[in-house]
Amino acid sequence: MLPTPLANIPRPVRIWCWTFLLILGMPSALFAADLQISDARMRLLPGDIPAAGYFTLTNTGETDNTLIGADSASFGNVTIHQSVSKNGVSSMQHVDQLTVAAGEQVEFAPGGYHLMLMKRKHPIAVGDEIEVTLLLGNGQRQNVKFRAGAPTTQ
Amino acid sequence: MRQCIMTVFVSLWLMGCGEQTWQTKDLSGLMPPLAFNLVDENGNDVTADQYLGRSTLLFFGFTHCPDICPTTLARLDAATQRLKETDRDDIQVLFVSVDPRRDDPASLRAYTDAFGPQFIGLTGNKAALDELTRRYRVTYGYGEEDGNGNYEVSHSSAVFAFNEQGKARVLIRDSDPMDAVVADLKTLVDDG
Ligand SMILES: [Cu+2]
Repeated sequence: MLPTPLANIPRPVRIWCWTFLLILGMPSALFAADLQISDARMRLLPGDIPAAGYFTLTNTGETDNTLIGADSASFGNVTIHQSVSKNGVSSMQHVDQLTVAAGEQVEFAPGGYHLMLMKRKHPIAVGDEIEVTLLLGNGQRQNVKFRAGAPTTQ
Repeated sequence: MRQCIMTVFVSLWLMGCGEQTWQTKDLSGLMPPLAFNLVDENGNDVTADQYLGRSTLLFFGFTHCPDICPTTLARLDAATQRLKETDRDDIQVLFVSVDPRRDDPASLRAYTDAFGPQFIGLTGNKAALDELTRRYRVTYGYGEEDGNGNYEVSHSSAVFAFNEQGKARVLIRDSDPMDAVVADLKTLVDDG
């Protein structure tokens, strides 16, 4: 008999053990957290004015991944926006989904992609960490802490 | 050598005559002097005359804009921070909201105060805003309302700079390097 670690355990238990380990290993293999979020920060504005969320999105996986939305218990409405400038005129556009190709990086930064965080549900102060959930195309939900900053946050 | 001295002499003479060289887009003679009839962030009717005597940076936007407008205002703030204090005090930023429906004086004041005392919020009715935006050949417009009553506002993203007599001097854009903006603000304060 092979000297496996489970050699002395009765066969039915052994099968159960392997099955258990296999199931345990599966989620990370099938739904790996390939989209990594870094430098998550929030530009806070006074009163009922929406806040902007910025971060860096990196796809470290081997397949393309898509950001399809976001929500937060601290805001009534969170959408993905993109600021565009054409002939000196600026405007914001809704982004339904954003695909990040394998190995690629997308910057959510002032003047471009941003999370539009509307209808604040409780007061937020500079320095607070606000949890936002990013919804991904593979059904995954990724919780990210955004640090609230001043209106001049870049 | 003689030519060299001559060049220096001529450039000194030109400088003495108030011929500035600008690093952002020169507007001298291309745009009319500062004029408007608007409502300030305290709800008072105001005209451009009341803002003469200081250099003015005029910018069109709206408060429900958490990305572009604060980025421009933050850049102007960072640029003025690099001037010496007396020069900084000589500059005011007029933030004209083209979204009077949502931007009442109180929310305008809260918004501009968040950036600093030199930021002043103004707005007006459609006729007043149309007159002002037409004067400086910029456009603004409203997008369709979504289910939550939110709508987008498109607006010019450039900043018009006027000297203390209200003469149009330069157009500052988001793409202009910071050093160029700082240099022009310095020239603007020294102008007139
Ligand atoms: Cu937006």
